[in-house]
Amino acid sequence: MSVAKIVSVHSFRGGTGKSNTTANLAAQVALAGKRVGVVDTDIQSPGIHVLFGLDEAKMGKTLNDFMHGKASMKEVAFPVHEHVSAAPGFEKLKNAKLWLFPSSINGREISQILKEGVDFNKLNEALQNAISEMNLDYLFVDTHPGLNEETLLSIATSDVLVLILRPDDQDMQGTAVTADVARSLDVPHLVLMINKSLAIGGEIQILKENTEKQFNAPVAGLLPLSFDVARNASRELFSLSQPDHEWSKELRKVAQFVLSLE
Amino acid sequence: MNRNLIEQIKKIDIFNGLSDEALMEITQQGTLRILKAGDALMKKGETGNSLFLIHSGLVKIITEDSKGDEVILNKCGAGEAIGEMALLDSSPRSAGAVALEDCEALEISRETFQKILDARPDVSLQIIRKYSHRLRFATTYIERAIDWAQKIAEGDYSFIEQSQPLLNEAGSDNAKAAQLLSAFFTMVNKVKAREEDLRKEVAKLSFEIDQERRKKDFEEITGTEFYSNLKEQAKTLRMKRAQQNKSEES
Repeated sequence: MSVAKIVSVHSFRGGTGKSNTTANLAAQVALAGKRVGVVDTDIQSPGIHVLFGLDEAKMGKTLNDFMHGKASMKEVAFPVHEHVSAAPGFEKLKNAKLWLFPSSINGREISQILKEGVDFNKLNEALQNAISEMNLDYLFVDTHPGLNEETLLSIATSDVLVLILRPDDQDMQGTAVTADVARSLDVPHLVLMINKSLAIGGEIQILKENTEKQFNAPVAGLLPLSFDVARNASRELFSLSQPDHEWSKELRKVAQFVLSLE
Repeated sequence: MNRNLIEQIKKIDIFNGLSDEALMEITQQGTLRILKAGDALMKKGETGNSLFLIHSGLVKIITEDSKGDEVILNKCGAGEAIGEMALLDSSPRSAGAVALEDCEALEISRETFQKILDARPDVSLQIIRKYSHRLRFATTYIERAIDWAQKIAEGDYSFIEQSQPLLNEAGSDNAKAAQLLSAFFTMVNKVKAREEDLRKEVAKLSFEIDQERRKKDFEEITGTEFYSNLKEQAKTLRMKRAQQNKSEES
């Protein structure tokens, strides 16, 4: 591994399973033996920490502290592999190397950083420091949905942009614009992932091909809409607890795709 | 005695398996009925008291629609039996039967049949076996139908293809089971087709991207000063990273 990669995971709309996907992707890449970090840049509505078993009581330094010069990224890093929870399948991460860089869930701190705005260079410094201080191979960035300024910053710094889309009109429309913006910002790799798909059998290939044509980017995985995932997604990492599920298989395809990128 | 009649009665499901001698006794105790076209053999709603074996000719099985007009459910010809269940219970007839042409039929009344059952334990036992077989058969299909219904609820239709051979199997054994299966498969195929149409509709609709709006939205985002600055900064950053990577590799 020569160069660390920043992988931003983004979706135009909320409710596409973005945080859930990011957490699962990061876990799968970590299970492949890589040193992985996850930064929650969704400063408006952070949430990914819950999936890694980090609750309010345990939360120490945050990305906000780094932004205000009050902590180093190393101090912000929460070693997920050292805090393996009782959630099903989580013990698999015991031998992995996975750190979470959480965003503050304190309301006052959230409004403060939103008021000040996020500086491109400062955010970039956060990402670069996370990589160098923890010697990471991959740094996943969980972004805020939509195309606000913070999100554009995240996209602009990434080497890989994973765009999650739901096969419905409004989401496709917004995702198309996001893809155009990512190209305009010279993001080297654009990867699509369809979530909550209802396609079955031959339709899967059609949906895949049509989407690739519309966005001019590869679809690395097509994850089915599943009640099993909906039931369990908020309290466990589904690809770890139910690795044989169709959703998990497709998610691993996306992880493999990310791992294969040069 | 007409051997042909014995051969015919032998094929009636509930009599199947009885000895020729027992069949002969049943036949002998029956009443031969001669019908002209238009004569009614049985009326819908009346208490059923006997079974009819059509020896020759054609009979229509009828009911009425909501307006009271006649609806033909089926036609029965030589060798077919109607009203079989009346031998065992006295439920009202579920349909009427009228001769379509001159017919000969053998009527076996419940009274006659029960006398034979009283006198002949071998015949009783055979009839009980026949009915328990039927019951078992029906239960099997009910259990299958429950299993299939659960699969349909989960959207799994894979059982249709695997289960098609049952249709032929049932056809030779029990016409009603074959009818039920056939109706069931027709229903499932229709449900499946509707679901697929709906899904295709959903999939098709997913690709309606308004290209003009896409362009307009893109220009709106990229047209700001913030964006031009960002683009510039990102460019510098990527160049810096590329240089770093080069120096690390060398």
